[in-house]
Order: sequence, then structure tokens, then C-alpha cells
Amino acid sequence: MVLQTLDSLGPLHGYAVAVRLEQVSGGALQLNMGTLYPALMRLEQRGLLRGNWGTMETNRKARFYAVTPAGRRQLARERHARDRMVGIIHTLLRGEA
Amino acid sequence: MRILREWSQRLWGTLLHRRRDGDLAQELQLHRELAAEDARRRGLNSTDSARAARLEAGGISQAMDALHDQRGVPWLDDLTRDAQHGIRMLRRTPVFTVVALLTLALGIGANTAIFSIVNGVILRPLDYPKPEQLMYLTTEFPVLRLTGSALSVQEYLEYRQITQSFAMVGAYRTIGGAYTTGEVNLTAGDRPLRARSISVDAQLLSALGVQPAQGRFFNQEETDRVGGLAPPLAILSSELWQTAFAGQPLIGHTLNVDGRPHEIIGIMPPSIDVMDNRTAIWLPLGLPAAIRQNRSFHILHVIGRLKDGVTAQAAQTELNAFLANWGERNGSSGHFPTNHPSRAADHTLQMQPLQDAMIGDARRSIWILQVAVGFVLLIACANLANLLMARAESRRREFAVRAALGASRSRLLRQTMTEGVLLCVAGGMLGLWLARVAVQALIRAYPTSVPRMSEIAIDLPVLLFALGVSMATGVLFGVAPVAQRRINDLVTAFKEGGDRGASSAGRHHIRRTLVVAEIALAVMLVIGAGLLIRTVYNLTSVDAGFDRSRLVTFSLTLPEPYDPDTRAPAYQRLLDKLRVTPGVERAAIMSGLPPNRSAEAIPTRIESHTASDGSPIEIIDYYQFVMGDYFGTMGVPIVAGRSFEPADAMSSGRVVIVNQTLANRIWKGRNPIGQRVRPNLSAAIGVGDNSWHTVIGVAKDVKQGGVEKATGTELYVSLDQLGMAAPTMNVVLRTTLPPAGLSRTLERLVRDVDPAVPIVRLREMDAVFAESIRRPRLLAQLLGGFAGLALLLAAVGTYGVLSYMVTERRREIGVRMALGASRSSVIGLVMRQGLQATAIGVIVGVGGAFAANRMIASLLYGVQPSDAVTMAGVIATISTVAAVACWLPGWRASRLDPNAVLKAD
Repeated sequence: MVLQTLDSLGPLHGYAVAVRLEQVSGGALQLNMGTLYPALMRLEQRGLLRGNWGTMETNRKARFYAVTPAGRRQLARERHARDRMVGIIHTLLRGEA
Repeated sequence: MRILREWSQRLWGTLLHRRRDGDLAQELQLHRELAAEDARRRGLNSTDSARAARLEAGGISQAMDALHDQRGVPWLDDLTRDAQHGIRMLRRTPVFTVVALLTLALGIGANTAIFSIVNGVILRPLDYPKPEQLMYLTTEFPVLRLTGSALSVQEYLEYRQITQSFAMVGAYRTIGGAYTTGEVNLTAGDRPLRARSISVDAQLLSALGVQPAQGRFFNQEETDRVGGLAPPLAILSSELWQTAFAGQPLIGHTLNVDGRPHEIIGIMPPSIDVMDNRTAIWLPLGLPAAIRQNRSFHILHVIGRLKDGVTAQAAQTELNAFLANWGERNGSSGHFPTNHPSRAADHTLQMQPLQDAMIGDARRSIWILQVAVGFVLLIACANLANLLMARAESRRREFAVRAALGASRSRLLRQTMTEGVLLCVAGGMLGLWLARVAVQALIRAYPTSVPRMSEIAIDLPVLLFALGVSMATGVLFGVAPVAQRRINDLVTAFKEGGDRGASSAGRHHIRRTLVVAEIALAVMLVIGAGLLIRTVYNLTSVDAGFDRSRLVTFSLTLPEPYDPDTRAPAYQRLLDKLRVTPGVERAAIMSGLPPNRSAEAIPTRIESHTASDGSPIEIIDYYQFVMGDYFGTMGVPIVAGRSFEPADAMSSGRVVIVNQTLANRIWKGRNPIGQRVRPNLSAAIGVGDNSWHTVIGVAKDVKQGGVEKATGTELYVSLDQLGMAAPTMNVVLRTTLPPAGLSRTLERLVRDVDPAVPIVRLREMDAVFAESIRRPRLLAQLLGGFAGLALLLAAVGTYGVLSYMVTERRREIGVRMALGASRSSVIGLVMRQGLQATAIGVIVGVGGAFAANRMIASLLYGVQPSDAVTMAGVIATISTVAAVACWLPGWRASRLDPNAVLKAD
């Protein structure tokens, strides 16, 4: 989800990611800092993201996260896997009904 | 892959903290500020908006914790924290820490020291290329029950020719030949010095596979030369070259060896030796022509290198076939080996790996020591587990609090284990230092008591062993306190308020089992040590056949250009001077010094006698050539007939004296006096006419070949009568003076005879004896030390456990006393508990000792492994020690003031 957000919106800082996810999920998904930042760090450690300090529009320093090429490949893989899974479930459920 | 990358980054993070805490905090801070601004925009005031932001986003410190966990390896972070906490806890209880450290240092130190011996002597391969291919060949005489004898020259030469299994077979001698004693007189500069020598052939050097550090080795032409003296060439050991010649260029120089100039042709690489000979100088093997065709002189030590791919078994088969076909090949019918040996000369050839031959029976002793120190360490572990358990009891509240705050059971286990490992690593380092000191002291004190002693060192395998033992120990006794703890009784821990809780029976059960185990192990060790100490005592009190008090001995070598006929007058002159020296009561000279002689096994013709193989030749174990009043000086009683007398020297009738064993074996109850034998003088000292000698007396048996061995057959020949002497002789003096007081006088007397001849090994006969039993003595001393340590640790352990029980049951005891229990009944109460455990421990230990003592049976002398006296003594000792250890806490309990105890609640 984080990858998807960053991929579609370009580099964002942590808060923006949280806000975006909250908006997209219609308020169903509220990430607190204890979940969000370790996740970002994990993705960065796996080399899927890169974080760099930059400046916001309000001239404040923030850490912006961008998807790396490896992250994009990973995203594509996961999308593909998800699509397959959804397709299978879809078929199964319909078959049963 | 990704996961791997994540973890490598994490590890990186742990080690280098790539993103600083400040950096993380800044990011979180921004998040919260932005959240607060958003909230403000939604119309809340600033306090409320901050609160909303906090609620929505979570606390910064919680997030930081989560980030920390994600950033590094939490387990490693915990370890650091546990270690820091552990060090604080250990520093808060210095007495516990010091006791634990000392126990561990002793336990680990002793284990490391002994393991360095195991490693250096048994495990590390010999210092030659492909050492597993090297085999040591021996002759075995089943009828004589002689084992590990040297090979005869004829068999060696022939086998060397025809062998298909060995790439190279070589031989050496340390005694005999041109250099008779295994030591030679050297002249280095103006200082005479004595160096250990070895006579080798070129094949031996190439079989060992060593290369000279400088110069060259002997070639085959030089060492195979027939007849005459060996060529005057010498190779020096690297050590001798360094110490005596300061490493100066020496190749081609001339060195006087036993008075004969030798050319130095090579220098050996450092630490190269053969069979622990401590060789300083290597000389060419010279074999007299007469000996080459004689199968009865077993004088060559033979080492072979197997061809690549040939098994030891195949080589042994070849050796067997070689002897079995001997008769066919050589057309001789007598004196060949059979599968059913019946004659003294029948023999087989055996081989074993060179390393096994070097270590011999020391292997068993060393492993026994290793097992013994292992026991000591187990006892130490049991003690420490008890200590930690007691400590864990008093830390119940701490653990309860931590558990209540969410620490998992495994997290608590990790904490105690970290503390245990910390202690052990510290104790291990101390122990390593102790081991180093101990091993160095051991090598200094007993340089020759253990084979390959010079190779014992604290090296990498030993370090790894010490580390492994420390870690294992830490885990072993760190687990115990937690294993007995059930986290679900935490609530009880709180309620009881910690130290006053009624202790559960299960916990006591574990403690008592530990005490029983400690005592059982200690009993086994003490019984083993007791048996070995009795062995040493028996060995020292063996009747060696002569009176060794106030005897001083030294040896002398009169080398070339002396010959047998000129030596005798020289020795005679010395003897005459010694006799009139103040403080010297009697003096004599002999060829072999008891009790460390190796059997000579000289075939000797006996008149009108038929040996078991039908020949008139009997193998006699020892010839003793004597000058002067040998029997009087040594205090050897003549049991029949008479001793040598000065008049014999003038008489033309040659006379000999036999020992009791020889008289009984040959003449079996008949009177030996007046019988005739023909001593093989040419074999024994290389000269003389083998004429008939008449037996004039029977002397009491003297232990020539070791106090623990059966006395061999012995023939005494008077050199006064023969008028000749061997190059090396041993002087013995019955004197009132100690060797130190005599040395100045003796040096002057020997100088008067020949200024170039050094006095060698001047010492009391008692010291000679002590040296002959140095190995069992060392084993007994070490094992005794370890047993003492085990006993001490077990006693401390018993004491500790009982003391703790008393502390725990203070209230109960107070109540009992308040209700009228007498002091003695309180003591009895405590002691009964301790003594019960002791009794069980002793029974288990004695049982274990019975099972294990078969291991040491072969090391014992004059005492059975199940010796009742030793057992009883050990049980009495242990019981006494245990009683004291139990009485002390009991006594302390009886001194409790019931008033104070009850009020304290």
C-alpha cells in the first residue's frame, strides 16, 4: 500500500503517506507512527524505498521517501500475485454459488 | 533475498547505528506537528489539537521503541542491555561474584591446563610431513613376556630390502655402538659439555621426511658402511646450535665428539626429534660387521614410512609373512618365529603408529586426568547453579516485576543466562591465565614426566576449548535457576513479599540432587586419587634389593682414545682415590644403574643345561659389570656362597655371581655354586674371550628394570678380574655427605684422572628412585590435587545449600525453639538433612568408583581397584568433611534468637 501510494504520487514524507492512506481508505485505515515508520524503515532496509531529507513547500525539512526501481518491480510482482489471487477467489466463489 | 538484505542492514544498524536517534526523532516530531496543524485546521484549540494528534498518531517514545526494534537486531540490543544489567547486578553482590569467579577460574583453568596436555600430546599430530604414515616397529617375545623390544640388525637389513609396504624404513640407536650412552662429550669452545645424541642411518632421516635447515644429511654410503667406527660426521639440532654456538656458521667446522674430531655437515630444523629423545646431536649409525649377521641382538629402533595408499594392516601382514618365510629364505631352521611360541627367542614383529609408540601408556593417565578435571568442573557448576538458584530466590521480586511489565519467560531466561555466560567468560579468562601459569610450572617442574612435553602450549585449539567450556558452563548453570521457576507463581512471589515465602519442595529437591551429585563425583575422584597415592606409596616402599639410604651416584664416560684395557686402570685409580676420601665409607663402580635399566636380553651359554627350546643357551636379562666392593657398597646381601674378593683378580679361575631369580630359573633348587656359565662378553661389552666362569655366589634380587616390574635374571661379572671396562660406568658411594657437599671433591678427583671428562648426573640414589616413579607420582599428585579441590567444592556446596535452607526456615526454627526445642535438636534437624544427602552421594559415588576404577586398574601397583582400606578411608574422610559442612549451618541455626526472629515478622 505504501509502495502503491508513493508510486502513484511520487516522493512523499511520512505524514503525507499516512494522510493519503487515510483518505484512500475513507478513514478506515489510520496508521500511527509506531506502525508507519518501522514499515518505512523496513522497506528502506530491503532496498525498495529510498529516504532523503528534503524541504517541504512550507520550507520545513522532512524526509521524503521515493520508490526505487527494485521497489517498482516488487510492486508489479505483488500486483500480479494479488490479481491472480483475486481471480482465483472470484472463480471459486462464483463456482460455489 | 530481500529478507537477507534487510537483516544485513539491521546488523549494520546495530553495529554502526546508521540513522541516529535524533534523526528519527526529528521525523516523528514533524509528523506530530503536521498532525496537530491538521487538527487545528479542523477547528480545535492548540492543546486539544496536540492531544488529538497524539491520540491519532501514537506516542513518540513508543514509535521510537518500534523503530529501534526495526533498525537493529533486537536480540543483540537486548544482549547488550542484559550484559549491562548483569554487570550491575554482579557488582552489587561482590562476595557472590568473587566466589563464583574463583570457582570458575579454578574449574576452567584446570580443564584448560589438562586439555593443553591432551591436545599437545595426544591430539596434535607429530611434527613430520604426513605423520600418520609413520610406523614404529617392535619385536615381541611372548615367552619372555618382553614387549616393545628393538629389532635385530639382520632382520632390519633384510626387511628394508624386501618391503613392498613401506616407502622407506630407517633405524636408530640411542645407546651402544660408537657412542655408547645416548650422550656424548662435546667441546664447544673451551667448555666441555654433555649432549644427548642419537645414531641414525640415512634411511631414517628420509623416512621422517625432514630436510636439513643447513648443510646436508648423512647419505646411505656413510651410514651403511660395514665394520670399523662410523664416519666422524655430525648434524646438530637447531637448539644446540643456538645455545652452544650462538647460531654462528658451523657447516664444515670440526667438533670434538667423545674426543674424536667430527665434521659438522648439517643443522636440523628447529624442534625436530625422534621418539622424545631430546636429541642435541645426530651421528651416523655404524654397525659392526659381526652384529649384521646376528639375529639375537635386538638393538635397532626402526621407523618406517608407509607408501601412499598402503594400510597399516597390509604392512603388518607383510611383516608377519616376512618372519614366517624367514627359514625358507635363509635356509636356517633354528630361532624362527611360530604361531605357538615356545622358546625364549621366538618372536614376532609388530608395528604401531609412531605417535602411539611415543605416548605409550601415558595416554591413559592423561585421559584420566581430563575426566577428573571434568568432574571438578561439574562440581563447580553444581555449586554455582546452587548459588545462582539461591540468588534467584532473593531476586524473585525483581523477576516478578519484570514479568508483570511484560517480559516474556524466554526474555527472563536470557537475562539469567547472560549473567551466567558473563561470569563464565570472566572466569574463563582468569582460568586461561591460571592454566598458562600452571602448564609452565608443570613443564618446569617435570620436564620429562610426560611424552612430548615440549609441545604442550596454550594454542588455538586450547583457546577454543577454554571458550567452549566457559560458554557451556555458563549456559549449564544459568539455565538451572530459571528451569525451576514457574512464571505462573509470580503472583505468589508478590504476595509473599519475596524472601519469606515457604519454599517449595520441588526446589529443594533440585538442590539436594545437586548436592548428592557433587558428593558422588567427589567420592569417585577421591577414591581414584587414594588408590594412586597408595600405588606411589607402594612403589616407594618396594624392596629394591639394596639399601639406598646414604648412597650417592654419578656416571662417567671415558671415550676414545681409551680402549677397554686402558679404561680399567683409569677407573681403578678413581676408585682408589674415592675410597680414601673423607666422608666416603665405601665405593664401587658398576655398568648399569638400577632401577632404570632396560633389559639387555643377552643369550648366554650355561653348562649342562637345556633351555626350553632345547639349546644350552639361556637369555639373561641383565649383565652387571662391577669394580670394587659392589655388594658391600650397595648393601646387596649375598644369600649363598661368597662375594667377589680382591684375591679373585689375581686368580686365573674366572668367577661370576648370579641373582636369586637366575639361580631359581636355571638350577631349580639344585645348588648353583660351582656351576659354570659362559658370559657373552663380546656381546655385552664388545670385547673379551667368552670363557667359562664358575658361579661362586647368589645375590639377593635387585630391581634393575623398574621397581614395579618383576625382577629379571641377572649375572654379575667382576671387571677387576677381567681387567677391562665399558666406556660409561656408574660410580656409587656410601657416604655421610650430601651430593652438594661432595661435588667439589669429586670434580677434583675426576680431574686428576682425566681433566676432559665431566661428572654426569651426580645425585642421591633416592633421587634416582624418585625419578623412576615420576610418572605415577605426577599422576597421583595431580589427581590428588583435583580430588582435594573436588572435596573442597563439594563441602562448600553442601554448606551453602544447608545455610540457605536454614535462612529460609528461620521462622520455622524460631517457632520450634520458642516452643521449647533444644539447641542440639535444632542442630540435629539441620544435620540430618545434610547427612542424608551425603550418605546417598557416598553410596552413588562408591558405586561409580567400582565401575570406573577398572579404567585405572592398569596404573595401580600393589593395590586392588576395590581396595577396602582405601574405600573405608575415603568414606571416613568424606563423611568427616560433610559432617563439618553440615554442622556449621546447624550450629548457626541453633544460635538463632527466637525472639528476634519472630519479632522480625
